[in-house]
Amino acid sequence: MLFAITAVAYAASCALFAAYLWEGGQRLERYAKVSLWLAAALHVAYHIDTVALGERRGSYDIHAAMSALSLFVALGYLVFGKRLKLVVLGAFITPINLLLFLGAGLRDRSVVPPGVRSALLPLHISVNVLGYAAFTLAFAVAIAYLLQERQIRAKRIGGVFQRLPSLDTLDKAALRCVLVGFPLLTVGIVTGAILTGGFAAATAAEGTRQAFAVAAWVVFAAVLLLRVSAGWRGRRAAFGTLIGFACACVVLVGYVVGDT
Amino acid sequence: MTGELVVVGLSHRTAPIAVREKLAVAGDDLSAITKSILEAGAAEAMIVSTCNRVEVYAVGGSDLGRSVRATLTRRAGGAKLDAHLYEHRGTEAVRHLFRVTSSLDSMVVGEPQILGQVKEAFGVATEAGTIGPLLGRCLHRAFGVAKRVRTETGIAEGSVSVSSVAVDLARGIFSSLAGRTVLLVGAGKMGRAASQHLVSAGAKLLVTNRSPERATALADDVGGEARPWESLRDLLVAADVVVCSTSAPGFVLTHSLVAQVVKARRHRQLFVIDIAVPRDVDPAAGQLDNVFLYDVDDLQKVCNENLQARGRERDAAEKLVEGEVGEIERWRKTRGVSPLITALRAHVLAAVRGEIDKTAGKLRGLAPEDKKSLEVLAEAITSKVVHPALVELRRAAQADPDTQEEVLGAATRMFGLPDPRGPETPDTEGGHPVDDGSSQKGGASNAHSRAEPSSSPPSELERP
Repeated sequence: MLFAITAVAYAASCALFAAYLWEGGQRLERYAKVSLWLAAALHVAYHIDTVALGERRGSYDIHAAMSALSLFVALGYLVFGKRLKLVVLGAFITPINLLLFLGAGLRDRSVVPPGVRSALLPLHISVNVLGYAAFTLAFAVAIAYLLQERQIRAKRIGGVFQRLPSLDTLDKAALRCVLVGFPLLTVGIVTGAILTGGFAAATAAEGTRQAFAVAAWVVFAAVLLLRVSAGWRGRRAAFGTLIGFACACVVLVGYVVGDT
Repeated sequence: MTGELVVVGLSHRTAPIAVREKLAVAGDDLSAITKSILEAGAAEAMIVSTCNRVEVYAVGGSDLGRSVRATLTRRAGGAKLDAHLYEHRGTEAVRHLFRVTSSLDSMVVGEPQILGQVKEAFGVATEAGTIGPLLGRCLHRAFGVAKRVRTETGIAEGSVSVSSVAVDLARGIFSSLAGRTVLLVGAGKMGRAASQHLVSAGAKLLVTNRSPERATALADDVGGEARPWESLRDLLVAADVVVCSTSAPGFVLTHSLVAQVVKARRHRQLFVIDIAVPRDVDPAAGQLDNVFLYDVDDLQKVCNENLQARGRERDAAEKLVEGEVGEIERWRKTRGVSPLITALRAHVLAAVRGEIDKTAGKLRGLAPEDKKSLEVLAEAITSKVVHPALVELRRAAQADPDTQEEVLGAATRMFGLPDPRGPETPDTEGGHPVDDGSSQKGGASNAHSRAEPSSSPPSELERP
């Protein structure tokens, strides 16, 4: 029940942020922010109820990890969005957040085989959750960058243009998110490799997940390298971030769908 | 009441610049002419004089319009102005004032300068002592309406001049213009205006021109640095915003030059504003990554779109103005019964106080707090007693003159008050409609505030 209420709250927040992006206005902005805080508070309650106090106490299942990922994305946005005055990014972040939360709802049973459970597993899950949360934020910022660039090139400097931050701000924000996510993903991949004994995949699905996790790492590494070495920024860096996140999404979808 | 609000004037809608400039009033002239309007029979007066309008706002009787017209004609050296002058009275004049102050009557709807200009005119008139309760109330209300129109509608959104659109665009690309470098290529008039806007937003200006003397002169004029034309490529690498306004017949910034520059800049964003005709920048350069090119047509198109968007907000703004005109009308009508309301309240309060004082005199050992409580009691009883009568009087004020006369006469006779049709009592509360105090609990402090009339005009219209 709490899951459904939280999902509805996230959906409402999505709609309000989209309306704010489109229409603007202080009232819509306030409602959108309040609705997301409310949804996040419900989510915290749900998470505590289901994971910490519920049947899954101490377990490492996909449901809990996805739920935590969604929660970190929401909280990360609420904290950093306020600090960096990027309120409008909620319009891009809340839909992804809703999908992650609904994705968590698809998996309500643990899929972690008892064989791979070890003291390293909590670290592996935690760094991956935080890393993917950072990439999700980077993805949303990159989408906002491309939209803003499109508005400027199309010479449309009306409402949406006015509400989105400058290209410069968006580019820097995307870089920061990737800089946070990349080392976390690196640790996640290394701990994953240790847990599975190299990259020995037990199933085809697991092999695909591993391959795309590495692909995401390679893409984000390339984005960072090209930013430093060739001065990549703006649209190219945004597209690189989208490709990297697409690879990460395949991994997430792989976990949601499971080995079946 | 000593009259109604009258506005006589001309604006960009009714008179060409050649006529407007004959009437333009500035500096010391402003208060002198305002005073001459008073001598012409006005009780209150104020003159708004801008490049787009000259208007006299005055309070007076039915002949006032003619006197003001005559004064203005004399001011214009006897030129025939009748075809250009407009005149509004009463509600129409209030509506006009609200529309002007809210920039609904401006050449560029939503422009912010007019509000400052009306405020300035108000300041001059206040200093000259020509503002009274009616004009004071209407102007304060007008400033409030203008603020509401700006914040509650989109009438002022989006830039509508080429220079400010350029600054808006630059802010969409760079988080801040402070510390950014603007390169002005050529010393054209338009480029100068645009770069001045960018510099006032905090950017550093470099100027380059084929003629170094002109570059130096312009740089000195706008607070920039002149650079040699030969170092154009290096300057393009260093700049964040480039404003081109040369009179060169061909492209100054070719596609290949900009492509080289982009590489040398390590893909930092470059905003190029080409306001030269013929164009200085190859349009193909605008397709390069991280290069954002706007020519004069693009900027003008944005201006036009913003103007259209403002036009769409006009209905909402007009509706808002209309509501406020209704408010001021209700206040104006209630103001007619204010002297009677003041007299009625004072009459009842005096009677209640008298009785309380009599009783208090018989009581021994009354502490100061007890006396204060009795004062509050007197206020409270007065409010209770007069409240129904005041409600009726205010209602009558909004009715037709016959009903108003009838109710006012009845109240005067019932309470044994002086004839309200006698000489008008000055507006004892600086233009506020008199409150019966029924909504206030602080009787003692309330009584104090009534005893000392405020000299400053009210900032908010009290709703009767």
